[in-house]
Amino acid sequence: MRVWRGGAAWLATGAIAAALLLGSSAAAAKSPKKKPRSKAGAAADFDVKLPVLGTKLQEFPPGPGKAVADQACLQCHSASMVLQQRLTEKQWTASLEKMIRWGAAVSADRKDELLAYLVANFGPENERFEPLVTRPVGK
Amino acid sequence: MRRPLTRRAFLTLAGAAALAPSAALAAAETVPKDRRRMLQVNGYATDAESPLDALTTYITPNDLFFVRQHWNPMYPDARRWALIVDGEVSAPMQMTLADLKKLPRAEATCVLQCAGNGRGLFRPPIPGVQWRYGAVGNARWTGVRVRDVLEKAGLKSSAKHLHTFGSDKPPVRVPPFHRSLELDKALQDAIIAWEMNGVPLPALHGAPARLVVPGWAGDHWMKWLTRISAQPEPQTGFYMETAYRFPETPGEPGAPVPPEKTRSLTQISVKSNITEAPASVKVRTRATIRGFAFSGAPDIARVEVSEDGGANWMEATLDPRHDPYAWRLWSLPWAPKSAGTVTLLSRATDSQGSTQPRDPVWNPSGYLYNGWHSVQVEVTA
Repeated sequence: MRVWRGGAAWLATGAIAAALLLGSSAAAAKSPKKKPRSKAGAAADFDVKLPVLGTKLQEFPPGPGKAVADQACLQCHSASMVLQQRLTEKQWTASLEKMIRWGAAVSADRKDELLAYLVANFGPENERFEPLVTRPVGK
Repeated sequence: MRRPLTRRAFLTLAGAAALAPSAALAAAETVPKDRRRMLQVNGYATDAESPLDALTTYITPNDLFFVRQHWNPMYPDARRWALIVDGEVSAPMQMTLADLKKLPRAEATCVLQCAGNGRGLFRPPIPGVQWRYGAVGNARWTGVRVRDVLEKAGLKSSAKHLHTFGSDKPPVRVPPFHRSLELDKALQDAIIAWEMNGVPLPALHGAPARLVVPGWAGDHWMKWLTRISAQPEPQTGFYMETAYRFPETPGEPGAPVPPEKTRSLTQISVKSNITEAPASVKVRTRATIRGFAFSGAPDIARVEVSEDGGANWMEATLDPRHDPYAWRLWSLPWAPKSAGTVTLLSRATDSQGSTQPRDPVWNPSGYLYNGWHSVQVEVTA
């Protein structure tokens, strides 16, 4: 089993995505039916300037509570999961309780600070999120 | 790892080309380089949807197929992998990929849609991944029938549900993704698949093997499959009793739905999307509108497009290619009659008579969004 956990897990995810892409290029280069490539990526069928899926991450906006959010949320998922939400205070309260029940690292005395940060930044009018455009994911 | 086109695949493609009613349909079968990209909605766990303008082919290429992970997966070691088959069977087994491949080969070309596809379009908003349109794709899945595996193990009549387990493990105290589906459905047409579009199943899509449940939402399609267990009762736990449930009857948007008024989410809903429409077009000039349509019913009967808010509908031409529970590509030549901003709407009707509604059924987890799809076109004088 390859086991990936914890805050730096995205590195591994990105590495696998990169490996998949490289693997597919290598397989293509070996095939006599494919055109030879002078250098890697020259004949890519996608825009090579795009990042590999999972390697470029969005960050929490600055403000009071960001440090708590970084510590509590990023252990299990990237900030994007939060950046895209548009929730009322009631919904954020329920979501935060669920995440704490599931193991989010936030101490009792910092919970209100985190809730206020989430409500202030990711309420129903939140329009800050745009998905990140990435390369195709590898065959 | 990649293989040349098999004779069967070649014949399928050649047959499709011969059937295509126009060069335009055939030309749509490659995704242009500038559309070959993904939309990452979560960096880790990795979640990414396909842009609609890349979903223009009957078979969605593996590298443009949406990716969904609950958490960072633990991929099985393919060399040591063996599927556990147990529960209400007379001979519990562990089957390697080689063992499975000795059983009759089964194949299905069908739609895989994430239960939450379109969650980001619901109002009021719902927590969770804010998928818009592209957590869906159509692929050819190859493997073995679940029925053949269970019969080999001596399935008992006491079994009513198939419990499914994958190798992914949740972080901290997150509940495990353990699922089950009604055995009748599993025996009817579910497949344990190790190939996707003619190549070994990619790691991101569940290698070495995943479940394929034609017509049902992605939550039943267990990836990185490690165990199937025939049981008298459904699986319990968060991902059965709280998540992946749908209101028995539609309620007001935003209103809570008590758990006893919900049922397990199974079939996907009838739906169409517009994948290609010009951003602007000159009045009385012909443009071609294209898209796809699918349902939890085996076929699509009709796709219609409206240019007047749904008062009148124009019937699109369905692409002849079809397999049970696969999507149908469709196209419609359209010449706008007057200048201005036009909102084009699409709706599909399936082979069982269900029609895509203007408004989806709002539900507390944001599943199965299927409201009419709208696209704006600027019509110039």
